Amino acid sequence: MAVPINKKTLKYLAELSRIELKKESEEKLLKDLQKILAYFEELESVDTENIEPMTGGTIEKNIFREDALTQINADNTQINADNISENQRKNLRKSAITEQFPEEENGFLKVPAVFE
Amino acid sequence: MNIRNLTIKKFHEGLINKEFSAFEITKAFFDYIKEKDQEIDAYLYLMEDLALSQANKIDVEIASQSFKISNYLFGVPLAIKDNILIEGEPTTAGSKILENYRAAYDATVIKKLKEVGAIFLGKTNLDEFAMGSSTENSAFKITKNPHDLERVPGGSSGGSAAAVAAGMAVAALGSDTGGSIRQPASFCGVVGLKPTYGAVSRYGLIAMASSLDQIGPITKTVEDARILFEAIKGKDELDATSVNFQFPISNFQWEDIRKLKIGLPKEYFYNTDLYRLNTDSGGLNVDLRRNSGLDKEVEKAMEETIKLLKSLKIEFKEISLPHTKYALSCYYIIMPAEASANLARYDGIRYARIPRGSQTKHGSFADQRKSALEEIYFRQRGEGFGPEVKRRIILGTFVLSAGYYDAYYTKAQKVRRLIKNDFDKAFEEVDVILTPVSPTPAFKIGEKIDDPLSMYLSDIFTIPVNLAGLPGISIPINSKLKTQNPKLPIGFQLIGKPFHEADILGIGEYYEKISE
Repeated sequence: MAVPINKKTLKYLAELSRIELKKESEEKLLKDLQKILAYFEELESVDTENIEPMTGGTIEKNIFREDALTQINADNTQINADNISENQRKNLRKSAITEQFPEEENGFLKVPAVFE
Repeated sequence: MNIRNLTIKKFHEGLINKEFSAFEITKAFFDYIKEKDQEIDAYLYLMEDLALSQANKIDVEIASQSFKISNYLFGVPLAIKDNILIEGEPTTAGSKILENYRAAYDATVIKKLKEVGAIFLGKTNLDEFAMGSSTENSAFKITKNPHDLERVPGGSSGGSAAAVAAGMAVAALGSDTGGSIRQPASFCGVVGLKPTYGAVSRYGLIAMASSLDQIGPITKTVEDARILFEAIKGKDELDATSVNFQFPISNFQWEDIRKLKIGLPKEYFYNTDLYRLNTDSGGLNVDLRRNSGLDKEVEKAMEETIKLLKSLKIEFKEISLPHTKYALSCYYIIMPAEASANLARYDGIRYARIPRGSQTKHGSFADQRKSALEEIYFRQRGEGFGPEVKRRIILGTFVLSAGYYDAYYTKAQKVRRLIKNDFDKAFEEVDVILTPVSPTPAFKIGEKIDDPLSMYLSDIFTIPVNLAGLPGISIPINSKLKTQNPKLPIGFQLIGKPFHEADILGIGEYYEKISE
């Protein structure tokens, strides 16, 4: 397999990843990625015919829970969720989350206009 | 009272026998940290006010005798890796992008530790988002190995391992995605346990690769690792992948331990190909190939350990893990894929925003039109992430992109299955597998930072364990040989069957006793 990454693909990938790359770091990054991808070529020699992909950790079983609403108390001090047992109830203050927002208005997250 | 050598067990005895109060010993830890950490740089920040008020409460409870005598963690001062959330405290994950973030809630492991009265001294340094093997990728500081200040402590839980090794905490929590607890434990001469995937809740751990991440203890003794593991394990409804397992992890007898059979994977000890990079892959420097082999000191220390265990009449058997040599490739496809998805949330919008910094220098996209929202994304992520994080996000984005998904990502998941099948097969014949932790002892600061592949190789023995979801422990080799120069710690790794932490902890505790 030819090394399938070049300057153009790197720019495209950075665009997809929403990462601004500095010009001076691009060359090193490209070289590193090419080396790493070349190393991956050894996998081509592994016979994986009829092998089921392994998607997760130790026990690969779906865990289901009720798709129920999580309610926030009027005083905003606690989250009560019917699907979370009493001792799991988190003392989660809404403000602890909204305080992190760089910009907020009336407790809502504020972002620049998406359509200009 | 020498606080530096305190284990959880010794601390507990001292506390209940009133040799010291929780307050005075916690204060002593902060005094020592403020002096010692100037040269080690293990901590990112200290939580002195909270810790001292916690300690006061402990002393009140001791005075009123309203505590359980069997609770070994009562009042124990711990260090916590800074990718584990403690409500109201800064949590940076070693990244500039979270420099101003404060945790909104407690991780489940923290909640559990608070319930048993453990005290948190502070948050420890790590490679940014736990991506690295030396802690050099931290955006804030470089942690030094307490055994040699010119060397790395390993990583990514390097701050936690260095803090415990230097006696700046009784024990610590780290996280392990490909070796991030075990490799720094080995480099710093302490014990590190990576539990079975699902044994400990990941709720409140800043996610790197969700199918691989586990939280675990870093301690001075195997017994302490067992105590801390016992306190944090268990099913948590807030982590769907956590598992309710009933396997007992204490009260094992020597008679049970000596019946365990230990496997030695021939590929790890004899087949030098494992430590060598593919010569055809182009662009790799010769030094890297030459230097990536199993270090002579490590080899000798391993031989010594095996000999000691054999002298106890523990049975050994050679096993084969044929796909293990593909583990590194497999891991460096799956892990970045998951990380690129997990790190999409750091957008400068939902969490704290960093000052825009040097904006005058436009990147590659100066010619493209962007909305104000996109500008924030690109700038925040461009300025906020370091080189290794960018490398992995872009690599992950690549292996998941249309046209390459099957060739890389699906292929790697299939190889992961083969690696796990190898272990399953081996565990039909043996109970525990013994390997080195890392091919070399601690390397020099700066030695590998510019060559990602050579850095990745230092996790070659630990990565397969995460891919297969197994428990692994790193235990310092108490070498009687005097040939090491300088004398750097070396650990050995015991790998167990899923949820059989008891087996590796059991052998580990006996090893500790007999090697003293």
